[in-house]
Amino acid sequence: MSTHTLHAIVDDLGALLLFTMILILAAGQIYRAIYAVAAQSLLIAIAGAVLAKATGNVDLWVIAGITLVVKAIVLPWVLHWVVRRMNVRREVEPVIPVAATLALAVAVVVMSFHLSATLGPVHQAITGNALPVGIALTLLGVLAMATGKTALTQMVGLFASENGIFFTAMAVTQGMPLIIEIGVILDVILAALVMAIMVLRVRSTVDADIADLDRLRG
Amino acid sequence: MAETLLWVLPLVPTFTALLMLTTRDRRILSAIDVGGSAVLFALTLVLAREVASSGPRALGVLRVDDLGLVFLLLVAVLTLAVSIYTVGWLRQAVAVGNMSAGSLQSYFALVHAFVATMVVTVLSDNLGVLWIAMEGTTITSAVLVGYHGHQHGLEAAWKYIIVTTIGISFGLFGTVLIYAAAAAHGGAGAGALSWSAIMKVAPLLDPGIVRIGFIFVMVGYGAKAGLAPMHLWLPDAHSQAPTPVSALLSGVLIKCALLGIVRFQTIAAAACGPAFPAEVWLVFGLTSVVVATPFILAQHDVKRLLGYHSVEHVGIVALGFGFGGPVGTYGALLHVVNHGVTKALAFFAAGTAIARYGTRDMRVIRGLLGVAPIGATLLMLAALSLAGVPPFSIFVSELLVLRGGIGHAHWVAIAIFLVMVVVIFAGLLHHAGAMAFGEPAAAASREPEAWSPLLAMMLLAAIMVLLGLTIPASVDGLLRRATEVVVG
Repeated sequence: MSTHTLHAIVDDLGALLLFTMILILAAGQIYRAIYAVAAQSLLIAIAGAVLAKATGNVDLWVIAGITLVVKAIVLPWVLHWVVRRMNVRREVEPVIPVAATLALAVAVVVMSFHLSATLGPVHQAITGNALPVGIALTLLGVLAMATGKTALTQMVGLFASENGIFFTAMAVTQGMPLIIEIGVILDVILAALVMAIMVLRVRSTVDADIADLDRLRG
Repeated sequence: MAETLLWVLPLVPTFTALLMLTTRDRRILSAIDVGGSAVLFALTLVLAREVASSGPRALGVLRVDDLGLVFLLLVAVLTLAVSIYTVGWLRQAVAVGNMSAGSLQSYFALVHAFVATMVVTVLSDNLGVLWIAMEGTTITSAVLVGYHGHQHGLEAAWKYIIVTTIGISFGLFGTVLIYAAAAAHGGAGAGALSWSAIMKVAPLLDPGIVRIGFIFVMVGYGAKAGLAPMHLWLPDAHSQAPTPVSALLSGVLIKCALLGIVRFQTIAAAACGPAFPAEVWLVFGLTSVVVATPFILAQHDVKRLLGYHSVEHVGIVALGFGFGGPVGTYGALLHVVNHGVTKALAFFAAGTAIARYGTRDMRVIRGLLGVAPIGATLLMLAALSLAGVPPFSIFVSELLVLRGGIGHAHWVAIAIFLVMVVVIFAGLLHHAGAMAFGEPAAAASREPEAWSPLLAMMLLAAIMVLLGLTIPASVDGLLRRATEVVVG
């Protein structure tokens, strides 16, 4: 695979990743946000596989496989399970209107491209437009956490943000060392489980969303 | 010998945690708790002697140098003190129903798993392992923060896990950027994430990408360290967690995050010059000191007060690293130790007072001196030291940080720092005095003071007074060598 085709594919995947991020930010129902983050993880896995094919780096195949299983299948399934257990189908109530969120998102994307454009010499070592897309995804994930009012939207935002970091790592350095990536994914799974337990525990004791609790102040 | 110890050390608390799952008896659990912590402490001392005599040791992704050793000693000392304190604290907490007797094994197992992750954090040479261990501390301690299981505890735990996990996502992003910069000079593979390997090529790294990487790391690990404005989780988590856990969070955990930042600071200083990381430290340090002050003055909840006070002191440490130079850095490292020991003592003393009065509200806790004279005296000592009164240890390290600032003529920062320290001095002594003196409330328990919390507190108070009067030659040597690691 020529470098040119590789860059073209990574750029296309980057565009699709940003599109899934917009879907997450604009999702009216929590189910849609979960499907969008699953699709995003799938794209990350594809990006890993493409890079693995292009560079012949075996570690990247493993990382792509783990990403597919854990982030595109297991974690969305856990989120789905929590939603079913909580038995809520209510709308995702945004803190600020969706239009304003999307405007902010555009600003973040522009800023990310501007930021990485200032990194002249390093840009050479980096595949296509992957770095600005990675920065944008990471920051937009945080935006999703900040604007989402429910615990589950915050978790979705967190996973999206992690996806951005993985994409950056893959594109910038052909992934972090395998053992580190595995450790990071393990941490993400554990964190997701702990969060899921907390959400359900609050739901069962006070019948409220854990992110809505605001008694601790001052 | 020392190389073997490197991987044995994290295994000691891990093994202790597993051992906890074999029994349900509170006495046996407490015995394993103290025993495991004592072994960790003894092995840490052995490792410290080895490193003092023959320099840094490395084994795979783990490495111990004098800088890491300062933090490792703090972890070991405070873990031991917490274990001793827990014996008496737990007996009371189970008696009044604050802790359910049935779930003690998971509590102890989590505490030691938490300690194990912190030990890995301070021993890791690989920046990726550092991140993994740091996220591990979040996961284990988040469960402990919400351990009481009531609504407020879970709210605090949720805020804690969300804020620090977003925070250290930024830390991971910064790590990836630095790795990218280093991989261009040292090849890929696990070795390229090793701090000692990156330090060898650090002057060659691209300053632009390192600068962005360092800012991400500062914001990320800074959230974990409780630096303002990312400190929002800290007062909630510190006030809602069981008291021994609060002491660990405030005494050690936030210091481990500072160590993470210092590791990246040395890389950034080599790649972009020392002025850049110093400026970033100063901005976050001053923000923390200023933001914490009004909350300390207006606080009624004693554990929240101590939490906000930790924000201030982390800010002072940041100022020390920001002023830089040998004096400022030495002061910052000494302050890490002093604040860790003193704040754990303060949480212990506050915890016994809370147990006695059944509330955290300082308007109700009055006349402690009348019902628990030794505990009240220790609380006053801790408050005096935290406020920065000589001859206690914090006075010494604050003075060193200040001298570091004067040496580099950071007059504005010094002025703000001094004003805030004076205001907090008055506020803190007002709160502590009101708790200790006066007529004790009728509801206050008048039981005799339990021996084990007193023993733990006296141990910490002894270290606090000793480090205030004189810094022993061995400690001084360790801090000097650690300063050299940072300043170069």
